Amino acid sequence: MSLSDFAIADTCFLIDWSYWSHRNVLFKLFRAVFVPEVVLREVKSERAVEWIAAMLASGQLALYTETSDVVGLATRIVERSRLVPGLRGVDLPEAICLAVGKLRGYVVLTENRGAIMAVDFLEELSGVVIWRALEVVKEAIRRGSITGDPRQVFKLYEEETKHRFSRAELEAVINELEGKAGEVEEAGGGGEGD
Amino acid sequence: MSLKERLEKWRRLEEEAREIRRREADWKFIEGLPPRQRAALKYYVETGDIRTSAKLAGLDLEDFRELMRKANVPVVT
Repeated sequence: MSLSDFAIADTCFLIDWSYWSHRNVLFKLFRAVFVPEVVLREVKSERAVEWIAAMLASGQLALYTETSDVVGLATRIVERSRLVPGLRGVDLPEAICLAVGKLRGYVVLTENRGAIMAVDFLEELSGVVIWRALEVVKEAIRRGSITGDPRQVFKLYEEETKHRFSRAELEAVINELEGKAGEVEEAGGGGEGD
Repeated sequence: MSLKERLEKWRRLEEEAREIRRREADWKFIEGLPPRQRAALKYYVETGDIRTSAKLAGLDLEDFRELMRKANVPVVT
């Protein structure tokens, strides 16, 4: 098992993701998705709490108790993000996820622009892999965990979660998926369908 | 990519996100809100900073996200 079988999710990702009818596809992509304690404390709505509780009970979500090395790095990320002009500040819950991404190699699930920018700007976060819903949905389609017209799949996600993807990035992803779909069809195969 | 080029890339992405939030927001709904929530939503539309916006509104993060849904203000990434 590689460490990238694991992901760690921040609050905004979980809240929006819980609105999607295909939300459990997340667990076809990762063995376990960790939720830091600091993130869990921020989730309040019945919808999100019920989903998270059910997934914790099934072992597909797992609680992540922050260790001192993670908190130390997260604190430095929070500080460093305030030193770069033009970089949006990172707050501690997202910084905890980034620190785990760096120290443990987990994929970081976030929609937080500050966290995404920090990986682009801060040298101490080099190598951290960020997936937004855009990348998660793309990977689910690519693996055949979700079938159907990619454009309609993304449209449903946007409608159900009130989330919007950058048009240019969405088009690039759809083009990539349609190209991939063409290759699979030519090879006479299908997605992994796991 | 140089620091300047990266900053420019993110400036363009931020501008696109801001335009989407401005365009899709239900301004009639927002203008009818109590002052604190109204100001917080306007701040979010301009900045996309959900944590500071929630604090301005005096709401928890998830309650502010729910207010954004009601105001048709999307998260853009």
